[in-house]
Amino acid sequence: MSKIYRYECRRLLWNKFFVGLAAVLLLYGALVLHGATILGVAHTAPFSPWSFGDYLSRMLPLLWIGTLFLLTFFTSGRARRAAVLTDATPMPPRTYALARCAAALTGGLLLTLLCTGEAAVFYGRMFGWYGWGSLALPALATLLPPLIFAMGSGWLLGQLRPWLLYVWMAAPLLLAALPLPEALGLWNGSFFTTYPLSLGTLDPGFTLPVPVIAAQLLLLGLGAVLLMKTSKPAGRLR
Amino acid sequence: MELKIQNVTMTYPSGKQALKGLNLELKSPSLIGLLGPNGAGKSTLMKLLVTALLPTGGCILADGKPLARAERTLKANLGYLPQDFGLFDELSVTQFLDYMAALKGLPNPKAAIQEVIAAVNLEEKAKAKIRTLSGGQRQRVGIAQALLGDPSLLIFDEPTVGLDPEERIHFRNLFSRTAQNRLVLLSTHIIEDVQSVCDQIVVIHRGQILFTGTPEELIQSAAGHVGAFYAQEAAQERGLHITARVNTGKGVRCRAVADVLPAFAQVEEPTLEDAYLYLISREAAR
Repeated sequence: MSKIYRYECRRLLWNKFFVGLAAVLLLYGALVLHGATILGVAHTAPFSPWSFGDYLSRMLPLLWIGTLFLLTFFTSGRARRAAVLTDATPMPPRTYALARCAAALTGGLLLTLLCTGEAAVFYGRMFGWYGWGSLALPALATLLPPLIFAMGSGWLLGQLRPWLLYVWMAAPLLLAALPLPEALGLWNGSFFTTYPLSLGTLDPGFTLPVPVIAAQLLLLGLGAVLLMKTSKPAGRLR
Repeated sequence: MELKIQNVTMTYPSGKQALKGLNLELKSPSLIGLLGPNGAGKSTLMKLLVTALLPTGGCILADGKPLARAERTLKANLGYLPQDFGLFDELSVTQFLDYMAALKGLPNPKAAIQEVIAAVNLEEKAKAKIRTLSGGQRQRVGIAQALLGDPSLLIFDEPTVGLDPEERIHFRNLFSRTAQNRLVLLSTHIIEDVQSVCDQIVVIHRGQILFTGTPEELIQSAAGHVGAFYAQEAAQERGLHITARVNTGKGVRCRAVADVLPAFAQVEEPTLEDAYLYLISREAAR
């Protein structure tokens, strides 16, 4: 299984598409950091968890697209044609799917590390600020649930119809344009700009209201369930 | 390895009945040629044997156990080359085979990979990326992955498609050697491939088995039904199934199969191709 994981990582991460994706992500990240995050949000410092959360929310659509793009390696027509060979081997389908999922997750994690790392470098160079530990919670709360959900839902949709993955890539862009309820405010960044102001204190500590925690946990759970479900053997005609 | 196909029926969701009550026994060692026109049901039968499809009726036994329950064991002993397959273009030939060896759970992949690369004459391309290979070379990678791990059951669906004549002869000989201690099922519509190496032939037509037996038995079944004549002699003749036309100094010499040969036709010794065409044409006329 570890060999399959290594080869899948090689296929997914060692190609011009991934390098291009990483370059676009870093470029967009730099634009956001220098154009928006540098000003801070809700009267807080640029390196406050709120400003950092806002930065991540702005990066989320690209990370979502990147994660789904990695899944296209497993669901494309070419991949399906290769599956007739791999399906005829004794490797249990669930184990095989898990190895591939792990490789895609590694890719998603790498992209996430790139954009959080870029922010960390930005904070260090611009403000001499290195208290990165305080940013872990907003990073986890903002990115982990949607990316696990992207992986689970994307895997399912890609198995149903490969082109659905490309349609699904547009979901966060659509959500960013919609007025979302507060519980889903992490998706379009509105939570980070409005919620601290509602707390009535200057530079408030990072907290999440219960509806937001519930929404993120639901997303995380749903993503995990979909991942487990879709890694079961594909149905055969009977 | 022994495969028993008992009254197997396969109907696709579209309603197309690909196989109708098929009964067949396949035992090793043997190299079995599966013949039939396009759409006869050959590929469907192969997909059923590798559990890529489940039959809608009947059952398949592998060494006495229903295939649905012995799937893992069967796949551990299976080498399969489908008619249409894809490879991971980003990997080199060796890396792809190493990947397949990991999926097959081979204990000593390095030696096994070197062995199959040599068997399919791809030593020079071992480190080349798959995306740089020609169609014939990709087909050879497909054959190599099927041979990996010395499986006791080999199923090849149209394995010589895309290979040049020299390569086809090489692979025919390879299949023949391989079948000395294994069960090899070779689906093709190239009669030449079957004629030279197979010890048993199964002819499928419209989802049913028309013939099972040795190539000699199939040839004998067409004795007296193959004739040759000049084209001008047969201008008005109907019911003849022309199998070959050759330009000669006296005109176009035709070779044909028919239930009853016309008087002007000179009876010829049937070849396997004649016998196959006679069998199919007789069935089509029904």
